[in-house]
Amino acid sequence: MATPLFSPTVLLKDLGRMSTHGQARRHFAVSRSLPAKALPARRPRERVEIPGLEMVTYGDRMHYVPGLAKPVYPQWERDYKDPGHYKAPPAHHMLLYKGKPCYVYNQRTSALEGVPQALWLTKAKLISGLPPHLLSLAESPANQIPDQDERVQNAIKHARFWDTTEERPCKEKYSNTLLSNLLHLCATLQSRHTVIGRRILAEKYSLAATWKRGEDLFQVRGQNGLLYNCMDPLPEVSGKQEVGDTAHHVLETFYPVSPSIDLQKVHVYEEEVNCSGFREGYPYPHAHTLYFQEDGDVNCKLHPKQFRAKMVMFAFGNALARAHSLYGTQPQHVLDRPITVQAVGTNGRLFQFLVFQLNTTDLSGDDGIKNQVWLDEDVELYDFAKLRPLIKKKQVKVPAGLEGYKPETFRKFLSLYLHGAV
Amino acid sequence: MMAVSCLTRALRSLTVSQPALLSSQAVTQTKLGTLVPSTGGQCRGFLTTASLDQNRTQWKKREKYTVNPIGMKKTGGRDHTGKIRTHGIGGGHKQKYRMIDFQRLHYEADKETKPFEEKVVDVRYDPCRSADIALVAGGNRKRWIIATENMQTGDVIKTSGVIGRMAVSANEGDAYPLGALPVGTLVNNLEIQPGKGSEYIRAAGTSGVLLRKVNGTAIVQLPSKQQVQVLETCMVTVGRVSNIDHNKQIIGKAGRNRWLGIRPSSGLWQRKGGWAGRKIKPLPPMKNYVNLPSISNKTT
Repeated sequence: MATPLFSPTVLLKDLGRMSTHGQARRHFAVSRSLPAKALPARRPRERVEIPGLEMVTYGDRMHYVPGLAKPVYPQWERDYKDPGHYKAPPAHHMLLYKGKPCYVYNQRTSALEGVPQALWLTKAKLISGLPPHLLSLAESPANQIPDQDERVQNAIKHARFWDTTEERPCKEKYSNTLLSNLLHLCATLQSRHTVIGRRILAEKYSLAATWKRGEDLFQVRGQNGLLYNCMDPLPEVSGKQEVGDTAHHVLETFYPVSPSIDLQKVHVYEEEVNCSGFREGYPYPHAHTLYFQEDGDVNCKLHPKQFRAKMVMFAFGNALARAHSLYGTQPQHVLDRPITVQAVGTNGRLFQFLVFQLNTTDLSGDDGIKNQVWLDEDVELYDFAKLRPLIKKKQVKVPAGLEGYKPETFRKFLSLYLHGAV
Repeated sequence: MMAVSCLTRALRSLTVSQPALLSSQAVTQTKLGTLVPSTGGQCRGFLTTASLDQNRTQWKKREKYTVNPIGMKKTGGRDHTGKIRTHGIGGGHKQKYRMIDFQRLHYEADKETKPFEEKVVDVRYDPCRSADIALVAGGNRKRWIIATENMQTGDVIKTSGVIGRMAVSANEGDAYPLGALPVGTLVNNLEIQPGKGSEYIRAAGTSGVLLRKVNGTAIVQLPSKQQVQVLETCMVTVGRVSNIDHNKQIIGKAGRNRWLGIRPSSGLWQRKGGWAGRKIKPLPPMKNYVNLPSISNKTT
């Protein structure tokens, strides 16, 4: 009578063991009752590994046994490739890992010291104000658009008032519209200056340039904005005499802050990467002007100082990439034909004009010939563009509509545009 | 949906076999087992419930230092069970936490361990404490520290871990070990154990006084007039903490207290016990934080 009582259990146990032979067995560590509230997590017991001694774990017993150690299971890895769940190897396992770090300036970098830091990194001398012969380009009536002021004011009004179905367009939108309207206006001069036809606008190109400064390696990487490309290079802005005079200039240092502050420090990088964004044989290889917008990147809000620093760095990056492709990557003390790149930055109302002239690619030391930067900062195109008038104490302080238009700003814009074409 | 199907697939492999399963089926299962990769005989258990972890404290578990403010979760005085553990906390303006580096003698990674200088970039209000905080930049890094009384943007502050024979004439805002400072200096951000980070004298307008230096230790008087004895290698900043008029602030109305996150106390009249009333007691004995080997250890 006893045997029929026992046999099912014996059968069950044997069958249980037999059936799970070669398959996973159930681990009863977690099939306990769980409290409804989450207890505060206790620090897990420290696992001490003594070499030579084998740990007796309760892994074989398939349930917790007080006194035995917790088993350590190998990390499970997917045996097929799933791009949705990919874990990158740590930096020191990557192929391009290098012990020496590289400091990268990308389009979201907000340099702490602003323009002085960018000037130190690019070994450049700052001259405030645009060069006078450049400004005189737009003074002559032959280089002016017919009804210039009226058309520019219409362009501003279109960007600020008319280009929306809501009450007012957002800053990102109106600065974008304003820039494209102004560029369109400048391009109408093509009938008079056919050289403008040898230029093209390009967007979303990725720039890369490498250089050594002191003992550190620096790189400029990223998509910076609208680029105005040209088939012919820009003429140089300053003569050989001025270029030679820059050798006496001393770069501004900012002790105790290091010049590589706020730059992204990477150990995985490609050395000597120099890419102007376009392949060999591109018909418009020379960078003419870069157009930056302050609200171009949603995730990055830059202060005006940091925005100007970004302009300097990317103008330099474009010039350096061109220099490396023309003269090779070896540092050249003086370039025979200095490379000039211009940059215009705007936030919809204020404009920053920049001209960068690359005189040397020998940037490791602090002495010697420096590059030159002409910077005209915070130039207003107009004072106010209000939808509703500002009324204080029943008096109209600022009327509605476009107010305080300054024609000199567009003349500067036009002269930078026409540089090289006239 | 996918999780459920994965779970059912896993559970199916673990089902306790029915008594009807005989050796033939066991054989077929092993045959199938050769096709399907087996889990090696052991498999760790898995939960069949949803995760019971709470993420109410995950915002403060960040290990990497950052200068950017971190969003905070308010607790309202409640603990992990949901009941009030501390009364009078709740509501108030939303705050972001800025990670403060209390370890003033924090050398940069890959840099030499020698005295360094930092430049004050910004001094600003911190919603999480009574004192103001300063963003200082040195070398390649930026960090937040507690600002001292006359700290302005553009100042250069020095941090040194060296104890010389002569006492240093310290400027306000600089940080030195206690052994390097002259007796009688006003100090703040006191470390009790060297290298741990400052835990004392951090509130607005407070300052301690370095009373005397005794062989390898220094005695500091805290703002509560309590005296502590610490090792002379503990770092300390010179000067008073910023925002000195904090205690003169008049709240003015109940609403301002609510903006600060202080809820009204219970209005029930409760008989005050022995804890209430003015107490005039002698100062507690000096607290010693120096771990000297005790005599009892030597004898045993």
